[in-house]
Amino acid sequence: MDLQLSPKLEIKNITKAYKANDVLKNVSFEVAEGEFLSILGPSGCGKTTLLRILIGLLKPDGGSVIKDGSDITNAHPSERGMGIVFQNYALFENMTVIKNVEYALKFHKIPKKEARERAARMLDAVGLKEHVSKMPRNLSGGQQQRVAIARTLVLSPDIVLFDEPMSALDVATRLSMRTELKALQKKFNTTMIYVTHDQEEAFALSDRIMIMDSGEISQIDTPENIVKNPANEYVKTFVLDNLQAKADSLIRFTKGK
Amino acid sequence: MRNILSGKSVIKICITLFFVFCLILPIISMLCRITPEGIDRVIHSKQFLPALKNSFTTGLTATIISLVLAMAAAWCLERTQIRGKAIFGMLFVIPMLIPSISHAFGLVALFGANGLLTNLLDLDTAIYGFWGIVAGSVMYSFPLAFLMLSSILQYEDSMPYKAATVLGVSRIRQFTDITLPYMKKTLISAFFAVFTMIVTDYGVPLMVGGKQITLSVLMYQKAVSMIDYDSGSVIGALLLVPAIIAFLVDVLNPENGQSGFVSEPVKPEKRAASTAVSYIYCTLLSIAVLAPILSFCLMVFETKYPVNTEFTLSHIENTINRGADRYLMNSLMYALLAALLGTILAFICSYMAARVKGAFMKGIHLISITSMAIPGIVLGLSYVIFFHGMPIYKTIFIIVLANLLHFFASPYLMMYNTLEKLNPDLEAVGQSLGVSRVHIIKDVILPKVRFTLIEMFVYFFVNSMITISAVSFLAPPSPKPVALMINQFEAQLLMESAAFVSLLIFVINIAVKITIGLIKRKAEKNSKA
Repeated sequence: MDLQLSPKLEIKNITKAYKANDVLKNVSFEVAEGEFLSILGPSGCGKTTLLRILIGLLKPDGGSVIKDGSDITNAHPSERGMGIVFQNYALFENMTVIKNVEYALKFHKIPKKEARERAARMLDAVGLKEHVSKMPRNLSGGQQQRVAIARTLVLSPDIVLFDEPMSALDVATRLSMRTELKALQKKFNTTMIYVTHDQEEAFALSDRIMIMDSGEISQIDTPENIVKNPANEYVKTFVLDNLQAKADSLIRFTKGK
Repeated sequence: MRNILSGKSVIKICITLFFVFCLILPIISMLCRITPEGIDRVIHSKQFLPALKNSFTTGLTATIISLVLAMAAAWCLERTQIRGKAIFGMLFVIPMLIPSISHAFGLVALFGANGLLTNLLDLDTAIYGFWGIVAGSVMYSFPLAFLMLSSILQYEDSMPYKAATVLGVSRIRQFTDITLPYMKKTLISAFFAVFTMIVTDYGVPLMVGGKQITLSVLMYQKAVSMIDYDSGSVIGALLLVPAIIAFLVDVLNPENGQSGFVSEPVKPEKRAASTAVSYIYCTLLSIAVLAPILSFCLMVFETKYPVNTEFTLSHIENTINRGADRYLMNSLMYALLAALLGTILAFICSYMAARVKGAFMKGIHLISITSMAIPGIVLGLSYVIFFHGMPIYKTIFIIVLANLLHFFASPYLMMYNTLEKLNPDLEAVGQSLGVSRVHIIKDVILPKVRFTLIEMFVYFFVNSMITISAVSFLAPPSPKPVALMINQFEAQLLMESAAFVSLLIFVINIAVKITIGLIKRKAEKNSKA
């Protein structure tokens, strides 16, 4: 990933505090076009706050967010060309699947017919062709999450943010969703920023991983480099030791001991 | 963002102005009427001490009886296997649909000097006085106690009982050691809520108190009959005390045991003896609840109740000739306006508090539930003192406003609790998709909470129809609501007319309840299909 050439997104010296509590302490990093970046850290490390600042739901106390060279720190969330997928989907439960997806298009002055077609195409792409006229409550957790993804992608954002999107899903669904997410990224050529507390998920999905600890970046690098050269003790214990433990138990299991 | 922010601040200012002018300033202006001389005059008047004692003893007795009856009723419906629970549950809250004064009037109709049961059973007419007030207050407050206790029993976890049964703990010990501690907070809340409701009501003691007067009646006499606002304010401030205690108990005890983890609600066991006892108890209770309404019907449609049982419509005709239809239209207008405006305002406040948040909204939340602590008669007197001479005085709007505020807290809380349970990120999703908050409210949130909106509307409507407290202070210059005629007719010994008005209010309220129930049911069916 060549970061020297014009980054898609630059985050410069972002700070944010709640009352006397520093949630983000001078956070700076860059994201390249088409990259899959995971932000990994335990709950309370500031990763969700950072995500909300990126999309514009929160204002930082200081610092700036620059996208394609222009400052969007104070832009409205819908004017950033970004989309966000939440942990709890936040679907519009009173609307059918296809209505959920096409709903926002009407506010972007897209004719009804075209909106319906775009929504249908998008639902097809996320594998929900047969479910378009169902109500969200009649879908499985994985299917609901796909509706949320389709609802975000239908506006063709060039960056999609994910806030722990799989934490409510069972293990098997998570594994298949990972593959699908990567496929979708390739298909639509979007940059993805993915917040998670799951080490395994971050290592399986990401081009690069940004590891956060109490409002600061501990390390940002490719999975290989993090494994080879963990930046500090925190990265070693929180990330690598956990992964190692998981791997060990799997190996023991497969060897049948 | 800029539009939303400015919209938000406009709404904030409006809400603040509303509460300042319609709640805080009126109450303050009433409290400002209290002077040392006024206090002195009230305390040394010869009715004061007996009234204080009566209020306390009747209030305490009625509260205890009401809670015991309600506890038994809640237990029958939640913990035994009787059939027809839905019907019993509906019957038990019927007393909520008629004014407090009608309960007392029902007692008069049944047990009074010329009452049906007095004649039938050859009773002494001992209904006036202490036991009359207690009986009427129990009738009137029973539904509230029943609703509070049955909802807490409904959500109790079954695990402690299973464990206790395995350990060989007796049923009585299970009740005293598991059920009662679990219900403790709710019982305390219910105790204060019911006590406040009873002590601040003047309808029952005015009608059946006889020579025994209570603080609320004293306040009514001083402020409404004698237009002595200074004395009224002193008693009003005194009546705020139990209300404020009730409010503090509620605010300091918000848990009420309901929020715990429930793995599985308690399932009633089949036991023949308890089922039989429950049937008998619930049937008796239903009869007691329906008896006053039945007596109203007899009075209205019989030529001379209870001696000449020939059917007649002349009483209805006479009552209408006395202006009942006009007063009814007033009431309907008050109720509809209060319901409409109240629902809108309570939605806006609860939306701001539940989904916009922030320190300011916490203040809104607190003040919204504070309105619960203000008894109707206190609010009424405050309004008279504060709004006197303003253009709104003598209009229908002051009564609508009084009803709106008096009944604000419950609908507010209904909506607040519903909105808090909705996905917290809906508006954020909307923003990221370029859909404004207003559109998310219109297209996503309102459809989700429509049943709660309907319930709020019904709550405002029914309570505005039955209330006699705040309106009794405001009505004389403004058009009079129909509930106030019950007392007036009774005083003129026009018993049939008083019965007809009570019945009229009941029929309208029950019709509204049933219609809304049917609409809800149909909509639920449709949304499932």
